[in-house]
Amino acid sequence: MAGWNYSSDRQRQVRRIFPELLRSRELLLDLVSKELRIRYRYALMGFLWAFLEPLLMTAILYFVFGIVFNFRGGATTPAMYAVSLLTGLVFWQFLSHTLGAGARSLVDNGNLVNKVLFPREVIPLSVVGVNLVNLLIGTAILLGLFLLLGGRLGAQAVWLPVLFGIELALVVGLALLLSSLNVFYRDVSYVVDVGLILAFYATPIFYDFRADVFPRLVEHPWLYYTYMMNPMVGLISSYRQVLIENQPPVLELVAIPAIQSGIALVVGAVVFRRKAGIMSDYL
Amino acid sequence: MPIVEVQNVSKRFALRRRRHALLSRRGLAHLLRLGEKEQFAALDGVSFTVEPGECVGIIGQNGSGKSTLLKLIAGVTLPSSGRVAVHGRVASLLELGAGFHSILTGRENIYLNAGILGMRHAQVAEVYDSIVEFSGIASFIDNPVDTYSSGMYVRLAFAVAAHVNPDLFLVDEVLAVGDEEFQRKCRRRIAEFREQGKTILFVSHDLGMVHSLCERVILLHKGKMVVRSNPQETIKYYMRLVGNPKGVHTLAKGDVEVVSNNGHMNLFYQRKELTGGQGLEGKLRAMQQDHHTSSADWEIATSGPDQCVARGRMHRLPVTHVWTIKIEGKTVIWRMGIECRNPVPIDLIEANLLISSQYTEWVYGDLSGVFPEILPEDTEWNAVVAPDVMANEAAALPREDSQLPTVLVDVKHHKPYMRLVWANTDSATGCRVLQANARVPAADEEFAAGYHDLLTFHIQLGLTREEVRRKVTEERSLKLGALTAVFEHGRIRLNYGDTLLTTLVHAYTSMLISDLWNDSINLQWGAVEREGDRLTISGYSRRFPFRQIWELEPVENGFSWRVLLEAFEPIDVQEYHASIILRQEYSRWRTDHESGIFPPFEPGVEDWRHLNHSYKPGLHITASGDEIPDVTLEADPEKGLPRMTPLNTGAGQRGRVLQALHTADTCLIHYEPGTHLYSSTRIIVKPREDS
Repeated sequence: MAGWNYSSDRQRQVRRIFPELLRSRELLLDLVSKELRIRYRYALMGFLWAFLEPLLMTAILYFVFGIVFNFRGGATTPAMYAVSLLTGLVFWQFLSHTLGAGARSLVDNGNLVNKVLFPREVIPLSVVGVNLVNLLIGTAILLGLFLLLGGRLGAQAVWLPVLFGIELALVVGLALLLSSLNVFYRDVSYVVDVGLILAFYATPIFYDFRADVFPRLVEHPWLYYTYMMNPMVGLISSYRQVLIENQPPVLELVAIPAIQSGIALVVGAVVFRRKAGIMSDYL
Repeated sequence: MPIVEVQNVSKRFALRRRRHALLSRRGLAHLLRLGEKEQFAALDGVSFTVEPGECVGIIGQNGSGKSTLLKLIAGVTLPSSGRVAVHGRVASLLELGAGFHSILTGRENIYLNAGILGMRHAQVAEVYDSIVEFSGIASFIDNPVDTYSSGMYVRLAFAVAAHVNPDLFLVDEVLAVGDEEFQRKCRRRIAEFREQGKTILFVSHDLGMVHSLCERVILLHKGKMVVRSNPQETIKYYMRLVGNPKGVHTLAKGDVEVVSNNGHMNLFYQRKELTGGQGLEGKLRAMQQDHHTSSADWEIATSGPDQCVARGRMHRLPVTHVWTIKIEGKTVIWRMGIECRNPVPIDLIEANLLISSQYTEWVYGDLSGVFPEILPEDTEWNAVVAPDVMANEAAALPREDSQLPTVLVDVKHHKPYMRLVWANTDSATGCRVLQANARVPAADEEFAAGYHDLLTFHIQLGLTREEVRRKVTEERSLKLGALTAVFEHGRIRLNYGDTLLTTLVHAYTSMLISDLWNDSINLQWGAVEREGDRLTISGYSRRFPFRQIWELEPVENGFSWRVLLEAFEPIDVQEYHASIILRQEYSRWRTDHESGIFPPFEPGVEDWRHLNHSYKPGLHITASGDEIPDVTLEADPEKGLPRMTPLNTGAGQRGRVLQALHTADTCLIHYEPGTHLYSSTRIIVKPREDS
């Protein structure tokens, strides 16, 4: 019965995450596809929503800031401001949607956790998976719009996967951490909801880091460093830089988020694994 | 290697196991490990192992830690200290439908649910068809499950669970939920797993089920394990733990011991328990509701070493049970009466004596036979004896190698409509049951205030088999050297020495009237009249106006079997026969015209297949086999020759048949009112000449 041995004293071992997840990959994919099917089966326009949401968000932000305030956010043309908005939105929404749903995921699937033994990581990871699919759609729209509005994909675009890798590590780490904490302290998910709204404004989405933030905060080092604690600052700026401006990313703006993501991933995985075994006592 | 190892396991919960908020005093303090936590130990130093193929029961009061223990073994939570290890795949009935989503189709849910239970897609694909077939909802499989009825939903969930093929099966109190049908399915599944030699861990309040299913019982009391030598001891200890000691009394005299325990009674003979499950228990039904005696509040009113009176006050009926129990010699006398405080309408009275499945043979009035095996699919109590036979005396004989005593029960019923039935219980309880029951006619339903005798059981233990048989069969037997012929309610059982030669309905007659076969076993037989060595018995038909009179008389190496037909009105018979159904060890047959073999039984081959080719009338038909005496059915030439026909019964019920068949070749055989000699044969049994 190899593969079906269970021992309670090994359950808290962090190194067991990988073999266990590898064995549960089909389950992970099943849960992702279940979620997608549920989400789109009865929705009138099906997957179209996945296209419409970032576009509508971009349209309203463009209307408010681009037209009402006549704001450019460091972009050269109004068209590039729209692309810049969409870039920020697509990658921001990946994080915010994943963390919002991810934090609640274990509690929502409480009856599963309470009944069956499987690597608990699968539950928040399936939320990441679902949002990855949406991100894929968002990215396709982004690239389409970018090329349509006369942009050209330069060599620096090879940085995109690297940047995204950093963001993914961050999202996975935070999703693991927040979902496990939410099992023990149920207000964590509300804190996350409020935090994400605040972070939306503290992240260069409808404005630009180098054009709008840097010149103004450089004289307030304390405020500046606090602002830089947000890993999405560096990531969104870098996405724009390599995609729209075809420039290599600023080292600082990649290194800081990379370190933060690494820490988030390790802390998230360890905390999650330490608590995974007794989550059912609290669900 | 054990499949489950539980080593010194403790599980503690913080006493206020509420959901904290992070931004509360408790939350932050808890997170920073400030403040002492009050703890509650759900399990405390529990250790045991389970070997593959074992069935272990876990019992205990509510809150004793049973469910926590199952959760630990399922891996759903971790122990606070100690170690739990499982070597093999675990499944539990708790997981039924885990992860089902109502928007998804049946097919999608099968894959998802099976995936959650640990199966890979390829494995699911292999058993997919079988799952769908088991669920019986093939035509809805591509519809979303929210279009299913709740029954279909459960069936599908159950079908998946049934195909996970675990090594270890965990069963929690699940049997207490769901409808009757679902509970039955669960029970059946558990019994099946048991048959397949799977390991089962079983938590239940149904002590009868635990007792019959489990080799070993773990009793948890306040989180600690209480160790007792065997399931019986453990269950007894548990019942004393939870039961009301006022309602327990033990009677003993010689080899016989009776424990009357709060509305049920267990019997022991030479320290071995012969009862199973709840033992002897009573039940009343009033206004469509069942009231078991064990749900009353019992008190021992008067007690002595070999007798006592127990009184059980019912809560929902104005009735107090009065049991008078006495041991006389090796006989337990149990009188069940009720004292009504007000007039009470009672529509059913029942008493069940559950005995071990080591009892394999039953005797019921002038009938006897073998208890059918209790199969996993038996989910209801099945009567073993035809319900239209009435008797007051019944006995059960244990397996030859069993140390249990024979049981002979004589029931005196104080209500005329009382009946006695031998039955098998369901596969979960796994006992034989002698049930005395009475559906009280509507006119009598009202029981006036005051005392009423209902039933008296005389349970005689430890007679020898011969004594039991003699007591119930002597009057009805012909002893012919090594051959014994026993008349049993329209059939004759043949024994040669200790060997039973016949099977199923043994030797019997049947007549075809108006296209209906009238078997002699379905006539209503009266008492046996005996004149020296000659037996006369008559049986009335309930369908047509006739009776049969059988005359059995010894002849050389056998006996003659004359059947007289007394017609009360003119009767036309299409055909009739006298037949002997022999055991399948008989392999060859011989008539006056030809001979042949009895072929093996094949499923699918028509029942009652004629094996001869010549239909000429004849005088003899003989069956022979190895190491069993030849049996010959011989016609009386004066009566006219029948067709002597060898047959096989069907593959389901196996027997070799010798038949003397009278047919109406041209028109019906017409009988005027009066008595006619109708069949006259001899049954001759002698050892084979050539050996």
